[in-house]
Amino acid sequence: MSSGDSSPGPRNGADRSGAAAPARPPRRQREISWLPILVSIASVVVVFGTIAHFVARSEQWPRIKRQFFNWDAMVESFPDVLRGFWLNLEIWVICIVSIGTWALLLTLFRVLRGPLFAPLRVFAIVYVDLFRGIPALLLVVLFAFGIPALRIPNLPSSALFWGIVAMTLSYSAYATEVYRSGIDAVHDGQRAAAKALGLTQLQALRYAILPQAIRNVVPALLNLAVALQKDVALLSVVGVRDAVREAQIYMNQTFNYSSYLVAAALFLVTTIPLARFVDYLTRRDRERRLQGGMI
Amino acid sequence: MSIAFLTRGRLAAAAVLALTIATGAAIAQEGTTQDPRLFTPGKLTVSTSDPSYPPWVLNNDPAAGEGFEAALVYALAAEMGFAREDVVWVDETFEAAIAPGDKLYDFSIQQISVTAERSAVATFSRVYYQPEKALIVLAGSPLENATTFAELRAARWGVAIGTTDLDYIENVLGITNAAVYNDQAGVFLAMQAGQIDATVTALPTALFVTAVQVPDARIAALLPIDERDEGFGLLFEFENPLVDWVDEALGTLIDGGVVAEIAAQYLTGDLNARVINE
Repeated sequence: MSSGDSSPGPRNGADRSGAAAPARPPRRQREISWLPILVSIASVVVVFGTIAHFVARSEQWPRIKRQFFNWDAMVESFPDVLRGFWLNLEIWVICIVSIGTWALLLTLFRVLRGPLFAPLRVFAIVYVDLFRGIPALLLVVLFAFGIPALRIPNLPSSALFWGIVAMTLSYSAYATEVYRSGIDAVHDGQRAAAKALGLTQLQALRYAILPQAIRNVVPALLNLAVALQKDVALLSVVGVRDAVREAQIYMNQTFNYSSYLVAAALFLVTTIPLARFVDYLTRRDRERRLQGGMI
Repeated sequence: MSIAFLTRGRLAAAAVLALTIATGAAIAQEGTTQDPRLFTPGKLTVSTSDPSYPPWVLNNDPAAGEGFEAALVYALAAEMGFAREDVVWVDETFEAAIAPGDKLYDFSIQQISVTAERSAVATFSRVYYQPEKALIVLAGSPLENATTFAELRAARWGVAIGTTDLDYIENVLGITNAAVYNDQAGVFLAMQAGQIDATVTALPTALFVTAVQVPDARIAALLPIDERDEGFGLLFEFENPLVDWVDEALGTLIDGGVVAEIAAQYLTGDLNARVINE
């Protein structure tokens, strides 16, 4: 079932390893050409220097600096914003797990073939159409304020709980489409091959299709996860004090926006390493697959 | 063409003369309706929120001059020498009002509290009104009969952002971890959803909310004033020089009892709530 049979990559690899000893040319000393590097540095300095010059020369700059880039205000607002940020992370992780699971289930509904599964397929299609179209903010308000106001016994009334449910429902619609695109990208021959081996439809999905599909869509899913982290701030509408809301509270008390920069920095601290980590995973995965082809 | 015949020196002298006359004229116009420091000379341009609520502005129509703040602005305009039709209203959110940068009006009025921290980056007029704070709960809540701060601290609190209500409950009542909503509407939705028990607002707002917007909410008690919150002021662009002139007119209105009259007309209600002090 290896996907490498017809692709040129592994074969080249095999050729190269076979003919390695006599054919490899001596490694040429690479000369470092300094000119392009110097030109890059110079152009960076000129472009950003010009921008900085015009910004700093602006009449309003001292005021902007005091209201947006105020170090003392950043320090002062940091503990509260950080506390909000932890809450943000907790909500984020819960959402990622629940969205990943629910969206996968929806995707299975969507891709199952056969007349028996028609209701599930229809449900998944209608679901995605509906929840992708409704603004997440509306869902959050509807769920977190609306459902508890019904006072149905034994149902949680927590705005946080229903806010997370709303985010899960909304984001799952997007994630389902990402999963599905991954499944569609797996060649139909894989399904046929699995069938030929006697696997049932579900087994084929589990062992043949999904592992390849999910691997392909990890960067797209990560993209969603990063967007989700910022969208957790939507829950502030129903009273949840996340990092952005804490920054906003500080801003309202002092009319100083520097607290927002603190929130931004905290978000960057998580999303940038996350992006590098996924880059690394993707690279390692590709190397592994190519290696598998060689053996 | 005549410029060509002037010598360089005469040209400079003429320019200096013209500039002097212009400057002199500008200074002479300061404190009049043609003051060049006005956003539009000849007009008094005032911003308020949209929507704005009673009793501050009635029917969301400040130009009608009904409601405490709308009436106050027209009294102020008259004191400064503006005709009624020379008052121009601009819609603006609270967020935009407090952001740095050029403002498209002379001042903003929307129950903005003056505090020392805010004064560091924004310019305020004199305080024109210091409201009492009211505790609002849903009818039937055990808090309706609360008499101490300790009882209040045990409740779940929610307040609207952009107000000083959060500072108030943190500083005066010692509440921590109150939920914070985008607006008063969010606070009362959460209250009706059973997520919070209590909130606090300026008394005039509380009177309106409990009478009209949320009829099943009650003013349970009045609360003491926070020393740090100086009361409502007009908000100007930072270091806007107009503030002196406006303050002078506002001072006349306050000292002459005009502001108190307007307040008596719009901001009182039938209320016999007890006061919780500690």
